[in-house]
Amino acid sequence: MEVLSIFLILLTALLIPGITGMTKAKIAGRKMPSVFQPIKDIIRLFKKGAIYSTSTSFIYKVAPLVYLSSVSVSILFLSVGSKISLISFHGDFLLFAYLLAIGKFFMIISAMDTGSSFEGMGANREALYSMLVEPAFFIIIASLALFTDYTSLNELFSNMHISSNFSYVIGIAASYVLLNTAMTENSRMPVDDPKTHLELTMIHEVMILDNSGFDLAIIHISSWLKFSIYGTLISKFIIVTTLPFYIQAVYFIIIQMILAIVIGFLESFRARNKMEKNPQWIIMLSAIAIVAFLSTLIISQKIILN
Amino acid sequence: MIDIFIILYSMTLIYFALAERVSKYVILLFIQGVLLFCVLFFSLYKIEIFDFIFILLETILVKAIILPWFMNKVRRQNQLKRENDTYIPVFYSIIIVVICLLVSFFLSSKLQDTQIHSKYFTVAFASVIFGIYFIIIHRNIFSHVVGYLIIENGIFLISLALGSKMPMMVNLAVLLDVLMGVLVLGIFVNRIGNTFESVEIGHLTQLKD
Amino acid sequence: MIILYFSIAFILASLVFFFKNQTVNRIMSGLFLLSQIGFNFYSISNIGKYDSIYYKFDALGGLFSIVLSILSLATFYHSYLYFQRHEFSKKQESAYYSALIMLIASMMSANYAENIALLWVSIEATTLFVSLLIFHERTKDALEAAWKYLFISSVGVAIAFMGILFFSMAPGINGLSTLSLNNLIMNAKDINPLWLKIAFLLVLTGFSAKMGIFPLHTVTVDAHTVAPPPISAFISTSLMNVGFLGIFRIFTIIAKTSTLYWAQNVLLIVGIISITMSAIQILRTKHYKRMFAFSSLEHMGIVALGLAAGGIGYYAAILHLVFHSFVKASLFYQIGQVHSIYKSYYFKDTGKYFKFYSLGGLAFLLCFVCITAIPPSGLFISEFLIFKALFIQNRIIVAILALVLLTVILYVFGKNTLHLLYADKPENVDLNNVTINKFETLSQFVLLGLVIYLGISPPIFFTDLINSAISILK
Repeated sequence: MEVLSIFLILLTALLIPGITGMTKAKIAGRKMPSVFQPIKDIIRLFKKGAIYSTSTSFIYKVAPLVYLSSVSVSILFLSVGSKISLISFHGDFLLFAYLLAIGKFFMIISAMDTGSSFEGMGANREALYSMLVEPAFFIIIASLALFTDYTSLNELFSNMHISSNFSYVIGIAASYVLLNTAMTENSRMPVDDPKTHLELTMIHEVMILDNSGFDLAIIHISSWLKFSIYGTLISKFIIVTTLPFYIQAVYFIIIQMILAIVIGFLESFRARNKMEKNPQWIIMLSAIAIVAFLSTLIISQKIILN
Repeated sequence: MIDIFIILYSMTLIYFALAERVSKYVILLFIQGVLLFCVLFFSLYKIEIFDFIFILLETILVKAIILPWFMNKVRRQNQLKRENDTYIPVFYSIIIVVICLLVSFFLSSKLQDTQIHSKYFTVAFASVIFGIYFIIIHRNIFSHVVGYLIIENGIFLISLALGSKMPMMVNLAVLLDVLMGVLVLGIFVNRIGNTFESVEIGHLTQLKD
Repeated sequence: MIILYFSIAFILASLVFFFKNQTVNRIMSGLFLLSQIGFNFYSISNIGKYDSIYYKFDALGGLFSIVLSILSLATFYHSYLYFQRHEFSKKQESAYYSALIMLIASMMSANYAENIALLWVSIEATTLFVSLLIFHERTKDALEAAWKYLFISSVGVAIAFMGILFFSMAPGINGLSTLSLNNLIMNAKDINPLWLKIAFLLVLTGFSAKMGIFPLHTVTVDAHTVAPPPISAFISTSLMNVGFLGIFRIFTIIAKTSTLYWAQNVLLIVGIISITMSAIQILRTKHYKRMFAFSSLEHMGIVALGLAAGGIGYYAAILHLVFHSFVKASLFYQIGQVHSIYKSYYFKDTGKYFKFYSLGGLAFLLCFVCITAIPPSGLFISEFLIFKALFIQNRIIVAILALVLLTVILYVFGKNTLHLLYADKPENVDLNNVTINKFETLSQFVLLGLVIYLGISPPIFFTDLINSAISILK
């Protein structure tokens, strides 16, 4: 039955970009594309051949595959609702976070591998923003670990709902931080505009400027999977574990849809930050995560304050 | 319940470090006033009922309505748009805000005493330190007044943390004094804006040897 | 009774403010002076009694109130002469007088307040009125000084309030009376010493903006330089006394506890740093009003040293404050006259004052002798006692350092004063059409004579007041 949760995550991964696109089109007053439009784009890309530049090395060919495989393996650490994940051991959230980081690392060095100055610039910025947003994720998980005394992702979430008063507070803070982390890691607004055509202002798009065909398709799929992963994490804060599984599954799908719509809203209504303001904005996320951590310390009375 | 408001208050401190537009400062002051009102509302167990209603009304009126409205008026009269170039870039200010919070957290866990409600004390002390830091890094006298109001909010929270026996009448007096002070400060900001054609403190350097 | 006094002051101030008429100003000021002196007599005759729950006519407050009344007489007289000499609009003049009346009333309230919260409120009120007075001349410098004074004073007083909050955790009577001085002194031993230390530091920092010692002394220096001469004289004396009173009340609370020694060390450091900074700045400045404003910083540093010394130092500190008030006031009045003659505040534009106006020159010379504590000035006696107390307490290095710095200051004052009095007049100064009011120097001679008389043979009444003021510290 655990395979069912993996199946759900993959299913919603395919649907999220479609719903986001539909939301953005509706808000902008355009005619909505179909939900399967991104899948059709991917199929089109699969049919094309890839072109490799002569100035690149094997890294450029290998990187998209590494990216996809690392993201896919990290899915195995998650589960929907009250199910147990396929892989789970003490401290597995570290492996989870660094699997995602390995994928990103390979993308960065493949961008630098092409020798183009634009791609190097994008790689530079991408590395900085990932570095700044990394503490946010870890501190949120650390406050959870402090609260529940477990260190495996499974047990963290399953024990979190015992004291429900606190889980509201941490749930709101964690959702906010994780949502913005998802937007940052996937290079969406307000950090990066996916629709921009000016290379000087791109961050992630410019890194994949030279990829084509099969590689580009894989990179897109990985990005969708990452959205779905973060959505799963957020849903674990929200779904109450005492309900029967099919209701949890329905909740899960609804939450992912809502997440996609929210992303569409945020993309439509926010302007992209000035480039100098990006590091400030991202480190604010880490600051809020630290505040949530301190409040965990106070509320859970690990440090006794009266 | 109070915990949520205190957490939100500390988040407003972080947003003060992040924001660059002057109108955002006024909005954040308003939010802080509302949060303080909510904190006061939920600390029912301390005071008798008549003083309590009076203090509630007075807090919400002064801190959340009159002061932000007055600051907004001053801002519009001087046409302040953006804070130009603080002495320390915003990136490091955010780190410093977090350090303030951590330092006050450790301080309050060292000052363990039955009479201090450490929940309030942490955020209050961080607010005072951050208010002083805010005054130091900004070049604009309007932002200095905003920093002064942050300090006053922090002192209000400290009085909630420490004053287990003191009635809120003292807070009343303090609030009135602060109101008078800010009114006079606002008048001076207008005057300086008119006389010096700008509100930067780079212009206020005549008095020296 | 004190409520009656406040209501009279408030009514008179509002009348002055609304009727922008010169004769109304004079009549109301005269009435206010009468009520001020009458109230002072009443309070002196009722020393030790409580009044209106939160006020007490204690000895130290009474002493400072006598000083305040004498100085307010002189201030009103000199303000009258100042307005005769300069042209101001009716609105400005009435704003000046009403702010001055309210300022004196709030200073009386601060002198007699027994509850620390009320003391704090009065001091905050004085800040507001003083900044309005500093701004009176409406020049750019005045605006800058008034803004800095108001802002930093407000921040400082807010910090002092934080310190006062720590006292509210004291055991004893519940409610507002927890902060009454009596209650706090009785229960001081039961308060956690850490709170006492924190509270003392915060209050010292906060009220240093009022008293004019390190760390927040810079605003007082700027304010005294730029304010109109009668006001500079007033605020560099009585307002510093009020600041001292704030710090002194907290000092009396911790006087019987074990933190006394620590607090005296802190005051020692603060005092010696103040004197050092004052000496450094006086060497550099060429603006004579600013130079004498720095001299206030130096004298307040000496007072802090007196408090730190203990024993006879307490008596000498209060004596020093009283004498300093009179001497500094007459000095600033004389500077007002000098400025009206030479029209400039820089030393290089002055000269041959003694020949031009001998009476003023004589007054200036006497002021110089008194402020640098040369005998027969009363300040000599108080400084001598303070240094004696420092040597008794074995703080030899500090005392020697302070003496050296005082010598430096004396040198600079002497050099500049003699330049003002005897040096050749620079060419561009035109002294022909200045009118001198012969009676203006009368107030200064009275004040200086008072200082010398009180120094050489103080009346029993005076010494008794001071002794009962410091009896709490023994």
